[in-house]
Amino acid sequence: MKEVLTAVVLIIRYAKLSLMQQKPKNKMDAVMDLSNPAKAVKCWVELYSDKLYSWAYYKTSSKETAEDLVQDTFLAAVTSFSKFEGKSNPQTWLTAILNNKIVDYHRKIVRNPVITESAQNLPDGAGLFNANGSWLKEQKPGNWPSTSEHLLDDNNFRNVLQLCMGKLPANWFSAIQLKYLEEKKAEYICQELGIATTNYWQILHRAKLQLRKCLEMNWFKK
Amino acid sequence: MKKLMHYLMLSCKRATELIEKKSILGLSWKESMQLKVHTTMCDACSNYQKQSKAIDGILEKHVHDEEATPLLENKHLKENILHSLEK
Repeated sequence: MKEVLTAVVLIIRYAKLSLMQQKPKNKMDAVMDLSNPAKAVKCWVELYSDKLYSWAYYKTSSKETAEDLVQDTFLAAVTSFSKFEGKSNPQTWLTAILNNKIVDYHRKIVRNPVITESAQNLPDGAGLFNANGSWLKEQKPGNWPSTSEHLLDDNNFRNVLQLCMGKLPANWFSAIQLKYLEEKKAEYICQELGIATTNYWQILHRAKLQLRKCLEMNWFKK
Repeated sequence: MKKLMHYLMLSCKRATELIEKKSILGLSWKESMQLKVHTTMCDACSNYQKQSKAIDGILEKHVHDEEATPLLENKHLKENILHSLEK
């Protein structure tokens, strides 16, 4: 009995494997001809440029930046084409290149913030606390009915979140993006940025205060 | 007693700072005591703490959620890239 079971399991595994191998192969053949990098990358532009552009736009909140980053991504894909081994999906590979460029972009912004931005010169938490550091009456965080991550399944909530993120000063926005994109320790991120850890969490603190307020006003208390 | 109270007292603004610091760098023993005392007494900051955590969870997911990104068409960009690849 045991042997029969083992045999059945083996057969199922084999069938699964051969199915898995066949699928991407067929798709790959259609998507690219690895012997001709320029031709393959052009094909990828047709297939993936909109997807990459959308992703870059939502990560940077800037159309021009998103266009530049995507263009750079494809140029990099041509020059480092030899590093692409047909094993991974081209979209995954291109997205990885793009993500590196997005991180570089945010680092640059945090390192060299544009000083003209109005919020930059405001004292910490302005408009939220009184001189003693107590919440102003109308600014006290209220009770939020639901705060689950499933909120993201709601397109209206995603729009509000995007809107609130877009309202942050550029260097706060970038600091937030880096925090969650990099998944690295704060000490490492700060080292990369060349800023003090205190400076870093204070930026994140201000950004979070403003983001929280914006979400409360536009979503949770509406 | 007064001294002890003074030692443990935080303003709400400082409490929100510590809440963020906690999730980024961690807190010293003193800071973490101060924060605990403050949030048990202060509903607003206790709400802030919950909401800050919730926002962390949401952003964590949002930042990596490629599939859910609405697709934007950009023909102009496509043409530009194809053109620059010709060179």
